Amino acid sequence: MTDRKGSLRVKRSVAFLVVGSLVSMFGATYGANAAPAKKVTITFWTSYSTSETPTLEKTLIPAFEKANPNIIVKHVVFSHDDLYQKLLTSAMTNTLPDVVRSDLPWVPTFAQGKVFAQLDGKMAGFDKLAKTVYPGTLSTNYYGGHYYGLPLDTNTRVTFANMDAFAKAGITTVPKTFADMLADAPLLKAQGIYLYGDGGTGGWNVLPWIWSAGGAVTNATNTTAKGYINGAKTVSAIQFLTDLYKAGAIPDSMLGASGGMSTYDGVAKGNFAMTLDGPWMNPIWAGGYPNFHPVQALVPAGAGGSHSVVGGEDINVTAKSKNKPAAMAFVRFMLSKSAQVAMTKAGQLSVLSALTSQVTAIHPYYATFLKQLATAEARTPVPNYPKIDAIIGTQVAAAMSGKVTAQAAMDEAAAQIEPLLK
Amino acid sequence: MIVGSKKRRITFRAARYVTLIVGATIMIIPFLYLFATSFKPQLYLFEIPPQFIPKHPTLSNYTDAWTSNSFGHYFANSVFVSLVSTVIAALLSAMMAYAFARFNFKGQNLMFWLLLVGLMVPGMMLLIPQYLLANQLHLINSLVGLILFYVATNLAFNTFLLRGFFEEIPWELEEAMIMDGAGPFRRFWKLILPLSRPALATVGIFTFLACWDEYVWALTIINDPDKRTLPIAISIFQGQHLTNWGLVFAASTIAIVPVIVVFALFQRQFIHGLSADALKG
Amino acid sequence: MLANVPHGPSKPSKAGFVPYLFLAPGFLLFLLTIIYPIFRALQISFYNWGVFPGSPTTFVGLHQYVREMHDPVFWRALENAAVYMVFTVPLQIVFGLSVAMLLVRKIPGRGLFRALFYIPVVTSWVVVSLLFKFLFSTDAGFVNWILHNLLHLSSHNIGWLDTRWPSMITIGILGVWKGVGWSMLIFLAALMGVPDSLTEAAAIDGAGPWRSFFSVTLPSIRLTLSFVTIMLVIGSLNVFTSAFIMTGGGPQQQTEVVLSYMYHQAFQFLDFGYGSALAFTLAIIVFAISFVQMRLFRGGVTRVVR
Repeated sequence: MTDRKGSLRVKRSVAFLVVGSLVSMFGATYGANAAPAKKVTITFWTSYSTSETPTLEKTLIPAFEKANPNIIVKHVVFSHDDLYQKLLTSAMTNTLPDVVRSDLPWVPTFAQGKVFAQLDGKMAGFDKLAKTVYPGTLSTNYYGGHYYGLPLDTNTRVTFANMDAFAKAGITTVPKTFADMLADAPLLKAQGIYLYGDGGTGGWNVLPWIWSAGGAVTNATNTTAKGYINGAKTVSAIQFLTDLYKAGAIPDSMLGASGGMSTYDGVAKGNFAMTLDGPWMNPIWAGGYPNFHPVQALVPAGAGGSHSVVGGEDINVTAKSKNKPAAMAFVRFMLSKSAQVAMTKAGQLSVLSALTSQVTAIHPYYATFLKQLATAEARTPVPNYPKIDAIIGTQVAAAMSGKVTAQAAMDEAAAQIEPLLK
Repeated sequence: MIVGSKKRRITFRAARYVTLIVGATIMIIPFLYLFATSFKPQLYLFEIPPQFIPKHPTLSNYTDAWTSNSFGHYFANSVFVSLVSTVIAALLSAMMAYAFARFNFKGQNLMFWLLLVGLMVPGMMLLIPQYLLANQLHLINSLVGLILFYVATNLAFNTFLLRGFFEEIPWELEEAMIMDGAGPFRRFWKLILPLSRPALATVGIFTFLACWDEYVWALTIINDPDKRTLPIAISIFQGQHLTNWGLVFAASTIAIVPVIVVFALFQRQFIHGLSADALKG
Repeated sequence: MLANVPHGPSKPSKAGFVPYLFLAPGFLLFLLTIIYPIFRALQISFYNWGVFPGSPTTFVGLHQYVREMHDPVFWRALENAAVYMVFTVPLQIVFGLSVAMLLVRKIPGRGLFRALFYIPVVTSWVVVSLLFKFLFSTDAGFVNWILHNLLHLSSHNIGWLDTRWPSMITIGILGVWKGVGWSMLIFLAALMGVPDSLTEAAAIDGAGPWRSFFSVTLPSIRLTLSFVTIMLVIGSLNVFTSAFIMTGGGPQQQTEVVLSYMYHQAFQFLDFGYGSALAFTLAIIVFAISFVQMRLFRGGVTRVVR
């Protein structure tokens, strides 16, 4: 405890030295320009898990409050789904907290609704901070020409493989390409093992395959889907998944069968040889299946290379907050190196590109994720993304189950998504 | 005919018990499963074949659930909100039921139909309008807001139930009191309510249960962790990526116990309350 | 009109303002917190409703209702809710009444049995829905373990929650399991009101237990039966939590019920106008069915139990 506070103070003086008179992240945090004259309380809503909350509440917030004696931080935790509903309803009545940790796809919705505050040009030290985070994570806060938040933590999906399962089929290496997967599928099937398990067909699940095949959901400016979601490359990715499903390499649970085995059990028990998932699975498997040692690898490459989907959370200040200076000071603090390191230890991968080597020292398994993040892409940052995600989920499942051709399904998806981008 | 053979009666009796035991087993197995799981460490949660007696029993789920996030405090909030709502809802609906049972008045049918409508609309539909109303009334983030809406939600059903009961109370009893110069409020308070104790116990239990389990409204209007109720506290144990089922089930067991105790204690009164027979007997 | 005009010759005919004094606190609260929001919900269903303060809200008239008529998912959701109703209501009545018949007379352990059958009623929908999702999961579920491994009734593990109809049946099984105790209790109360003299008289006339049940017991609990039926129909069409938790409407919206679809539209897609229209349509259907039932039963609900 004392160690951490000590290191904070060191960091502060270093920052002052390096940045000098500039309004830097640390300077702004601790500098007189941001410190409110009288005591204020800011509220911070998150969906941190029971294992992450103690770091925030017992280490970080006390450190922040010590450095900012005029600010009290009140942390309120909700479950992930509850938080989204709370934000929606509270926005209706202007009873939102000052700071929110939000899931990436929520941000454009709340930016469009003027629920979150624009930070670029409004928050001291924003430009500086924006340069310290991975660009892919920053982009998730971009809407209509402005930034409505900063990334707080990040993750992506990489391959988790059960090598014992592969070994049963005489395979010794994790598939590196789509072609490897197609070759491995029948060998595993002969042993009664599914090659690839996943929990759905929404964007989070299938975008890595679409992007790796060289496809896309929309054009670069997110204004049209026609020719992208139903373009030849995207369709080839869907066809690839369909072929695997038809070959008995993917279980029904990916198509939404609720009774099926979860990938958590399936991969650990060797019923599925591999899946794509996030870094949190490492401690989860270690807790539930201590004898299972997953092997991580990059997403298998297709014609477009190996691309995964950016996950994680952003930190946002609400537009109606009465304590914006204090809220922004807290945002800067949460993006400070010490805070980021502390949360990384608790399982939240840092968004600061400068911390790369430190992060892998904390948990070696982060290495694969950092490598994958270099080419990972964000889900379409538009307010209608939840609908787009549902459309992708429905149409991909329709194609995989063989009800319609991959091309027909994606044409339908394009037709449905197009008006949502207006 | 009525005599029948003794053998037949014994067979009948045996069949009755076998049926009851099979039925009760089906009713109870899921709870045994829940109860057993709440004593299992994460490692052994869902084993096949299922273990109803955990091989590695632990109390850690209970201690974790109780010590995390001031669970005890939420428990107390739930008790407070449920009890107060129950008492107010019982009183207000008894008054309404008395009016419906004992008086003819203008608008009676319309009022009855409106109550019926209240019974039929899905609560989910009213969530947003009620929330906006609560905001106008400055009831966001207050236990009063919870209580007010819990009372309202339970009024219609309670009124119907109590009205049926009140109508069975012989009018002669009231007439006797009128002779003594008692007004309607005195009759309601001194005669109707005491005679209706079983029925009041019944609506009380129904209301208490409904409030005890209510989740969506509590989530929507309460912002302050100090004012949370049990169902929200339990939902926090459900993680985005991993749910610690041992913890959830331990917390759920803690939440179920008071309810079962209440029912076990009042079971007899409860059933009597539903039956107008109570008065005649 | 219904038979809900309070009966009995002994009512004061001139009540003046007294009944209104009794009604006022409860009914005003009811008007404010239930009836007024119903009208607000109706109003929202005529708009493309902007969720956030300041976001555009446009009047679209009946557009949301027209849209609903052309939405295959809505029709499927309605069909699923109807199937759930047809599956759960009769079973709850039959099982509830049977158990009540077995438990109405004094037998050793009667209180315990009553409590055991009632426990599912008093536990939260969320908890039991999660529980049933485990019990019915395909590979590690308790039910498949019994059917396949223990009793060998099935050659393979059944995918209870994998496709539409098995999922609806599983959700229905949960509904029946959780609901039997409730109808048992109401029937018990009613059966206790059937005078023993009636059944004894029937027995003396030579009626066997079955005939006695159909010719004496059933007619005397007719009102209760109608009450239970109406309440169960209302509850079953409004099914939500169990479906939402056990399948989430999946796979591919095959198991969506009206309220889960409404929830997705409103809270996932922020389409509160459409969500309100869906819920309102359901409310109207429920109301219409209840109205017809009350006509058939002649005032069941209003007499509640006796």
